[in-house]
Amino acid sequence: MKEILVDFEKCNGCLMCVQACAAEHSLSKTIPGALAEGTPARIFLQHVKGSPVPIVCRHCEEAPCVDSCMSGAMKKDPVTGIVTNEGNDQECAGCWMCIMSCPYGVIIQDHRGKTAKALKCDRCQGKEPPACVASCPNNALFFMEPEEFSEIRRRQEAKKILVVS
Amino acid sequence: MNHVIIGNSAAGVTAAETLRMLDDQAQITIISDEKEHAYSRCLLPDFLSGERDSKSLRIRDLNFYSQNRINTELGQKVVSVDHEQHQVVLEDGRRLQYDKLLVASGASPFIPPIPGLQTEDAFGLRTIDDANRILEAAKSSRNAVIVGGGFIGLEAAYALRSRGLDVTVVEMAPQILALQFDEKSAGILADDIRQAGVNLITGAGVKEIEGPAFPGKLRSAGKKVILSSGDSLQADLLIMAAGTSANVALVRDTGIKINRGIMVDSRMRTSLPDIFAAGDVVETLDVVSGSIGLTPIWPNAVVQGRYAAHNMAGNDKKYSGMIGLKNAVEFRAVPAIAMGASRGTEEEGYEVLTLDQPAYQLYKKLILRDNRLQGMILVGDIKQAGVLGALIRNKTDVSAYKNCLLQPSFSYADILRHSA
Repeated sequence: MKEILVDFEKCNGCLMCVQACAAEHSLSKTIPGALAEGTPARIFLQHVKGSPVPIVCRHCEEAPCVDSCMSGAMKKDPVTGIVTNEGNDQECAGCWMCIMSCPYGVIIQDHRGKTAKALKCDRCQGKEPPACVASCPNNALFFMEPEEFSEIRRRQEAKKILVVS
Repeated sequence: MNHVIIGNSAAGVTAAETLRMLDDQAQITIISDEKEHAYSRCLLPDFLSGERDSKSLRIRDLNFYSQNRINTELGQKVVSVDHEQHQVVLEDGRRLQYDKLLVASGASPFIPPIPGLQTEDAFGLRTIDDANRILEAAKSSRNAVIVGGGFIGLEAAYALRSRGLDVTVVEMAPQILALQFDEKSAGILADDIRQAGVNLITGAGVKEIEGPAFPGKLRSAGKKVILSSGDSLQADLLIMAAGTSANVALVRDTGIKINRGIMVDSRMRTSLPDIFAAGDVVETLDVVSGSIGLTPIWPNAVVQGRYAAHNMAGNDKKYSGMIGLKNAVEFRAVPAIAMGASRGTEEEGYEVLTLDQPAYQLYKKLILRDNRLQGMILVGDIKQAGVLGALIRNKTDVSAYKNCLLQPSFSYADILRHSA
């Protein structure tokens, strides 16, 4: 199954992914619109010792957020592999059990609606590639099978060694 | 393979759907003494307050059972298990044959022995039936008294308060949420609950329940709750939220190994062949304390149900234990999470890191031992609870970024960068 994968070395922290994510999930579908609407992004850019580190949901197999969801709203689609609490029969209760369970810390509290809800990456509901990947100008984000990604990484490393020697 | 599951909640439902995923041909039957489609007990306070109806309590789609080809025996109580014959005995006398049995019978509210307390006087809050009876009684009630200042008690209090009742919570410990939170964090949460107009009395037990005298009985006046402090409270509605006890009665005379709950091994197998158990009814390993005990929380029940199902279907899948104590809560405005050895102190040999900003209702406390995180309390800011929780669960050495853990900027990125 395809995943959103990150080449940390290539990321320069430009925040395009964050803005594109907010835009995609806004009503207007534009970056200024998302800013005006106050749409939160679902991908996060952290800095550690000056280096940017994008953090995004992995849509885990046996996802802890799904296991901990006591309303049944958080589900993993068996076909697409997308883990989301939106668009299901059950409604998120805002109990924050998923936030407590997510080892990557990529679920946030959304207080925009009448009742608070958990908010997370929905991988643009299956749109390929997801907005964050499509917007990355540095080729740091990929949407592909993890095996394919490691193959690319392996070749890159090999190339480096060739150049040095 | 013929699988029978006793219990239609977190563990039972997860086990059933896992079994179906693993074995297309298996016969799966769920038995429950409740008639309802699988629903969330944790959301019953929302049902009490009127935020949710019985439909929005459902944890699975309406066609869940038919889609997964699961037979149901709902509204059927299991009287006993005949493990020699591999049969489950139902209340109506029928016997269901099983190849593998999962006991996921859950727990029931614990009713403490209080002088003068008649069981019909006091409600627990465990089932939709309980909630409906409370709502019915609430119609003619002005004062509600809730015995027990844990999560269920406080959430029920908050729900009834939103229905306009005068609500008092009586907690024996000197603070609310005494199992999970320390004094300071419980104080912040208590303030938050009081803001909603709920009256909290801590450090006082219930000494006696006094029924109305004769003239009062005629107009169905409420009871009187006499506290150990000598004070008394008027209670038109009395709710018991003083913990739960595991539902082990149905298997007790099989000779199955029971402590406070059913004992299971790392494959969720009980001491009897072909009988598995999962959820609130079992005792399992707590990875933080290393001890075996009841861990009656939803996420653990789900995971245990899944592991039981794998092993029932013949896969060898070992349950390595979970964090027994972990709870998230938000009463009115302040979110809070407690996990693991959240009440560990320096006197006990723990290293304790705290961040306390009362002006922002922000309080964080991390409990470490040998540079490994063992417990935490987060109040106000819970964003990184899962990241910290994974450090607890994996017993990660955090010495490289210990000083970052309480920073607002701390995230999974710190761990990623330090482990790279």
